Amino acid sequence: SQVLNNPVQTSPIDYAEPKQYRIGGVEITGAKFLEPVALISVIGLKEGDEITVPGEDISRAIQKLWQQGILGDVEVFARTEGDLIYLTFDLKERPRLSEYRFSGINKTQSEALRDKVPLQRGKIVTDAVLNSTRNAIRNYYLEKSFLNAKINITQRPDPTLPNSVILNIHVDKGNKVKIEKIEFVGNEAFADKRLRRQLKKTKEKKWYKIFTSSKYNRTEYENDKQLLLDFYSTEGYRDATIVSDSVYRISDDRLGIRITVDEGQQYYYRNITWNGNYIYDDAYLSRVLGIAKGDIYNKQELDKRLNYNPAGIDVSALYQNDGYLFFNIDPVEVRVEGDSIDLEMRVTEGPQATINKITITGNDKTSDHVILREIRTLPGQKYSRDDLIRTRNELAALGYFDPETIGLNPVPNPVEGTVDINYSVVERPNDQISLSGGWGGPIGAVGTVGLTLNNFSTRKMFNLSEWRPVPTGDGQRLSLNVQANGKYYQSYSLSFTEPWLGGRKANSLTVSLFKTIRRFPGGEGAESRLNVDGAAVSLGRRLNWPDNFFYMNHSLSFNRYDVSNYNIGGLTNGLSNSISLTNTLGRSSIDNPTFPRRGSSFTLSVNMTPPYSLISENMDPLEYIEFHKWMFDASYFINLAGNLVLNTRAHFGFLGTYSQDNTLGPFERFKLGGAGLGGGNIFVGTEYIGLRGYEDERVVNSTDQSLLNAGGIAYNKFVFEARQLISPNPAATIYGLAFLEAGNNFGSYAEYNPFKLYRSAGVGARIFMSAFGLLGFDYAWRLDDLPPGVAGDASKRGMFHFIIGQQIR
Amino acid sequence: CSNFQKLLKSNDVTKKYQAALEYYEKEEYYRASQLLDQVTPLLAGTGESEKALFYQAQSHFKQSNYILSDAYFRNFYTTYPRSPLAEEAMYMQAQSLYQQSPSYQEDQTPTITAIMAFEEFVTRYPDSENVPEANSRIEQLYLKLDRKEFNQARLYYQLRYWHSAVVAFNNFQREHASSPYSEEAAFLKLESQYRYAMESVASKQEERFDEAIDYFQSFVDQYPDSRFKRNAEQFYEQARSELERIRKNTNNQANL
Repeated sequence: SQVLNNPVQTSPIDYAEPKQYRIGGVEITGAKFLEPVALISVIGLKEGDEITVPGEDISRAIQKLWQQGILGDVEVFARTEGDLIYLTFDLKERPRLSEYRFSGINKTQSEALRDKVPLQRGKIVTDAVLNSTRNAIRNYYLEKSFLNAKINITQRPDPTLPNSVILNIHVDKGNKVKIEKIEFVGNEAFADKRLRRQLKKTKEKKWYKIFTSSKYNRTEYENDKQLLLDFYSTEGYRDATIVSDSVYRISDDRLGIRITVDEGQQYYYRNITWNGNYIYDDAYLSRVLGIAKGDIYNKQELDKRLNYNPAGIDVSALYQNDGYLFFNIDPVEVRVEGDSIDLEMRVTEGPQATINKITITGNDKTSDHVILREIRTLPGQKYSRDDLIRTRNELAALGYFDPETIGLNPVPNPVEGTVDINYSVVERPNDQISLSGGWGGPIGAVGTVGLTLNNFSTRKMFNLSEWRPVPTGDGQRLSLNVQANGKYYQSYSLSFTEPWLGGRKANSLTVSLFKTIRRFPGGEGAESRLNVDGAAVSLGRRLNWPDNFFYMNHSLSFNRYDVSNYNIGGLTNGLSNSISLTNTLGRSSIDNPTFPRRGSSFTLSVNMTPPYSLISENMDPLEYIEFHKWMFDASYFINLAGNLVLNTRAHFGFLGTYSQDNTLGPFERFKLGGAGLGGGNIFVGTEYIGLRGYEDERVVNSTDQSLLNAGGIAYNKFVFEARQLISPNPAATIYGLAFLEAGNNFGSYAEYNPFKLYRSAGVGARIFMSAFGLLGFDYAWRLDDLPPGVAGDASKRGMFHFIIGQQIR
Repeated sequence: CSNFQKLLKSNDVTKKYQAALEYYEKEEYYRASQLLDQVTPLLAGTGESEKALFYQAQSHFKQSNYILSDAYFRNFYTTYPRSPLAEEAMYMQAQSLYQQSPSYQEDQTPTITAIMAFEEFVTRYPDSENVPEANSRIEQLYLKLDRKEFNQARLYYQLRYWHSAVVAFNNFQREHASSPYSEEAAFLKLESQYRYAMESVASKQEERFDEAIDYFQSFVDQYPDSRFKRNAEQFYEQARSELERIRKNTNNQANL
C-alpha cells in the first residue's frame, strides 16, 4: 500500500514540500463484496477535512483499513484542484476466513491449539497468517517432543458465505522423539554420569526411569547447558565453556546429544580484603562471609554469602536488617595468579532508610486491613529485610494468596532517605466444599456435606452486592458440617472464627456448636441411644514474649452426653456433663502452611475440668465428668536440599484424675493407630492419633479387652518424615514422603514405659488442593509384632492408609 | 429446538443480525449479545458493522458484563472515531470501567483506570451533555481513593502503632490535602503524636511533645471550628503540662 501520484495529474504532489489541502471527496474503488460507505466511515476522513499531503492523515487512514484485517491491498490515488484534494482508495479484496477445523488430532489438542493459532474468523487469509499458524502448531508439538509433526493446510470456499474460505488444518503428529544418549567430550575432572545429572530436563531414555521424561525440548536444553556451566563454576572451574554441542538423529524417533566442553583450570581463593566498611570491621565481616584462604573458588556460593543466603547468615543481612537499604557490596578480583584469586570487597554502606508508605496491590477480594495488620514493616521504622521476609511468610500463612507469588517490592527514595514498600498478592480460592458418601463401618452408609469459608465477612453479609457468591474479604472463618445416614447417625457442627476480635490486636475468638445423634437398632423399647451436644468458646492471643512467634489459646467447652440403654463406663441411662477449660501455649515459625521448608512449632496444652471430687465427696462422677489432660506436640522442619525437607515430630499425651481413688471414665482417652482419622466410630471427647502400619485405634498396650475398646490414658509417638516436593502448583501441591515412626499407648500408668514402642516405616504421597484440602495415601510396613490382644494376621505386615485433611499428630 | 437455538446454528449472517436487533429492542440482551458476538467479525467492512459493534457493546453492558463492554466500546470508538455514536461509546467505556471499580478496601487499580477514562472523555468532549455526570463520577472515585488511604492510616492508629500512624497521616495530608477526611486525619495525627510521646523514653519525650504542640497549632489554624477542637485542646493542654514537667526536671538536674 502506498500513495501514488496520479500519472495524468498536472500538478504533482511534491514530497519535499508538504501542503495543506481540503478534502473535496473520498471515493472507494475495487470493492466487490464490501460496502464503500462503511469503509469510508472506517477511514475517518470526510469531505471538508483539512489534511496535509504528504502527511500522517493518509497513512493513518490506510492503517485503519488494514486493522480491519479484511483487505488484501490498499492503494491511494490523489487528484488536486487548487487547495481541494480528491482521494481514491483502490482496494483489492481477499477471501475472508469463515471457519477453520483441525483433523488428525484429538479434541483436547485441537482445543489447545485454537488458543495458540493466530487465525481469526472474519479476517482475510494471507500467506503470513498461514505461516504463523503452521509455526504455532509446530512449536506446540515441539514442546511435546513430536519433532516430526507435519502440518497441511487446505483452503476451500465457503458455500454459504460469499468471498469466504474454510480452512482445514491437517496435522500428522508422527513419532514422539526421545533422547537415546547424551555424551560428553573433553571432560576430565568429572565423569559423564555426574555431568549428565546436571542436565535437569534433558535426560536419556532408560527402561528403568519410569518417572523421568526423556523428551527433547529446545528451550529446556539451552537452560540445561547453562546449568552445566553453573555446575562447573560452583566447582571452581570458572573458565569452563561448551566448545560445541550437537543434537543428531539416531533413528526416526531417537536423538543423540554430544556436548564438547573445555574445562579450563580449577581456581582457589587467596586473600580477601575489605574496603569501605565503617560499621563492621574486616575480621567480623570475614567471619560472616565464612570463606577461607585455599577454598575452591565458587562464584554462586560467594554471591549467596554476600547477598542472600536463605539457609543462614549473609553479609547483606547485617546491614539490611538494620536499615542500610542502600548497602552495596562489589567483590572485585584484584589479582589472578596461577590458580589463585585475590578478592577485594568494595563496600558502600550508605545511609539508613526509614519506611514511609506501605501499599498493597492485587487484593481484589481481601480487604486492606486484613493484610495490613499482618505486615511487620511499619511506617516510621527502620527498613529490615528480615521483617520483609517474615511478612511474606505470614501473608502466605493466611492462606488467601498464592504463596509462591507474593511480591515484595521496596521502592527507595534516596533523597528523603525513605523507602516505600509495595506488597503484591494474587488471590486464590481457599474455600473448601466437601461432599462425600462412604461406608462408615458399623453405622453403614454415611453422607457428608461440608462447607468451610476461610475468608468470610459478616460485615458484608447485609449488602447483597458483596455476595459473589458469598461475602468475603474480612478474614473470618465459617465452617458448617453435616454428616448423616438417616435415622441412626446424624452430626451437625458449626463454627465461626473472628481472627482479630475488636480490630486492635490479633486476639481470635472462636465459637462452635455441635450436635450428634446416634441410635442403635434394637427390639421394641430396647433401642439404645447416645446423643452428644456441645458448645465451645475460645480466645486466642499472640504473644510478644519470649518472642513474637508465641501464642496462647484459652477455651471453655461444655459437652452433654445423653444416654439411654447404652453403656458408657457404667452409665446406662441419663445425662452426663463435661465442663472443661483448655489452655494452650504454642510457638510456630513455620514458613509455609502447605509445604513447610523450615521452621518449627510446638504446643503444650492442658485441658481440665473443675476438681469436683476434691470439693465434695457426694458428686456423682458419672454426672459430672472429671479429668485433666496434658498434651505436648513438637515439630521441626529442616531443608536438606532444594525441595527435600526433613520433618521430625514428637507427641505426648497424659490423662489423669484429681483424687487417687477416682478411676478414669471412658471420656477423653487416646486411641492410637492407623491414619488417625477416627474411623467410623466417631465418639466426641476422644483423641484419635495416627500410627501408620497398625490398624485404626488398635494400639493399646493392654490385654484388657475393655481398655482396648475404651483407649489408653498415656501415649507417646515419634516421627521422622522426609518430604520431597513434586509439584509446587498452588492449585494442587503434591509431595512424596518416606517415614519412620514409633509410638505406644498405655492403659494405665503402671504399664507406662516410654521406651517400649511399636515401630513402622513406609512411603506415601500427599496432594493439597485448595478446594478439597489435603488428601493422601501411605503404604506402611509394621516393624514390630501386633500389640497384645489385637486380633489379626500376625504375618501380614504391610498396609495402606488413606489420609484426609491435615494431621497434627 | 427453539427459534433462538436454530438462529444460533444458522449460517445466515443477515438473519442473525436482524434477529439480534429485535432481541435488543425487546431488552433480551443475553440473546442479542450471543448473536452479535457471532456475526460482528463477519460483518466487518459492511454497512451494518458500525451499528452491530455498538449494540454488541451495549448488550454486554446491560448484562453487567463490564469487562467485555469495556473492550467493545473501546474497540468501537477507536474504529469509528467519526461516528455520531463515538462520544456515547467513549462515555459508556468509562462507565464500564466505573462499574468495575471495587470497594475501597480492595486493590484500586481499576478505579484509577476509570478516573483516567472519564478525564479523557471530559477533555475530548467538553461540550457533551454527559460531562456533569462524568465529573461527578470522577469526584466519587477520587473520594474512594481518599477513603482508602485514610482508612489505611487510621488502621495504624487503631492498632496503636502511634509512630506509624503519625507517618501515615502525614503522608495522607500531603497526598490528599483537599479530601473531606483531612480534618479528622489532622486530629488523629495530633492524638497519635501525643500518645507516641507519652510512650517514648524520657530522653526523646521533649522533642516529641514539642512536635505534638506543632501539630495542634497547625490543626487549629486550619480548622478553627473543628468538631474535634475540644478533644484536641485537651491533648494540647496535657502535652504542655508534660513539657513543663520535663523542663522542670532538666532544670533541677542542671542546678544540682
